Amino acid sequence: MDLIVAFITGLTTGGLGCLAVQGGLLTSTLAHQIEQDMQAHNGAGSTQKFKPHIAQPILFFLLAKLIAYTILGYLLGAVGSVLQLTSLMRAILYFAIGIFMIGNGLRMFNVHPIFRYFVIEPPSSLTRYIRRKSKNGTSFFTPLLLGTLTIFLPCGVTQAMMATALGTGSPTQGAVLMFSFILGTSPLFFSVAYFATRLGSAIEKYFTRIVAVTMLIMGLVQVDTGLNLSGAPFSFSRTVSILQAYALPAQTGMSIEVTENGYSPQILHLPANQDLTIEWVTRNTQSCARSVVVPDLEYQEILPVTGRIKFDIPAQEKGAIIRYTCSMGMYPSQLVFDLEPTETNQ
Amino acid sequence: MIKKTFKIPDMTCSNCAMKLESLEDILDGVKEINASYHRLEMVIEYDNSKLTDEQIITAVRKKGYTAIAQ
Repeated sequence: MDLIVAFITGLTTGGLGCLAVQGGLLTSTLAHQIEQDMQAHNGAGSTQKFKPHIAQPILFFLLAKLIAYTILGYLLGAVGSVLQLTSLMRAILYFAIGIFMIGNGLRMFNVHPIFRYFVIEPPSSLTRYIRRKSKNGTSFFTPLLLGTLTIFLPCGVTQAMMATALGTGSPTQGAVLMFSFILGTSPLFFSVAYFATRLGSAIEKYFTRIVAVTMLIMGLVQVDTGLNLSGAPFSFSRTVSILQAYALPAQTGMSIEVTENGYSPQILHLPANQDLTIEWVTRNTQSCARSVVVPDLEYQEILPVTGRIKFDIPAQEKGAIIRYTCSMGMYPSQLVFDLEPTETNQ
Repeated sequence: MIKKTFKIPDMTCSNCAMKLESLEDILDGVKEINASYHRLEMVIEYDNSKLTDEQIITAVRKKGYTAIAQ
């Protein structure tokens, strides 16, 4: 997943989702802080307008959360790298994330009681410990501790992002992904926590609906990505891109340009019944298209930023279609074996 | 000490369960509260010489939920 996408996910659904699960923790800490500030204010007999000091604890809380989740992302990426996920395993992971998100979206709309089980409930002993810590909190240690402990109370979107971090198979990528996501959640979390006392349940319900709709959309996107990665003939994005490509004249040749926006041509017509070698061509390509996956041939390659990499394809029957995509399930493209051997400049 | 289950039909997330469990710190005579969003219920272990069902239901209502004794 692109880091900007992770950031925007955090900024929108992640922030809202986390707010529902973790917001109460921070609010209770802040309430205590406000209470203390008010006692100090009244005790001092000040005539100035009362102004509680809540910005700093919120910032400490968010900073601790950011660090904790970045470390968690690193560890998840490390686990993913040991597992060496194949494209099929990634596809299954995306399916699971998608179903998890759709389940959570449907749960929020109260479609059926079964969807409540899409929420992972932390054990009471853990929530009790966290609650008591938040209640006793006066120092900056408490917001720091609570921010760290939020890793045990991840919201649905965060859990999905954790699964994605696992899927990156790289500690650094996992860490950066979680960092981007949690950083994205921070502005909304800060704003809402800051104005928490003014938020009523009506607004919470409004937020829940937005989160539910976004979860459903994102869940469908994840399932679509899983379909692309598994090499399935049908997916929403594949259908759209293939229809677009069919509107263009049929493209032949023995190379595929790997660009910032995917693969060109999206549909390459090749000769059937003969072994072929085609080339992936990159020219300062930075996008995830560089990481190409051909599920049917169990081929997975990270291409250089600039260069030409040969790709051997065993003979395919006439009419065969080999689908490929980037390792993130984006840019679905295909090779169509429908030409006679003489029709290309092999 | 007795253990009693209350249905809480209007819980919406696991945070609601945490909110209900925080009644442990508020109600006198409570030993332990375990609330579950999955089951939409709250199991409370309490001293019935110090606390009544009505008091529990009222405390739950103050948290914004409805408790139905089972």
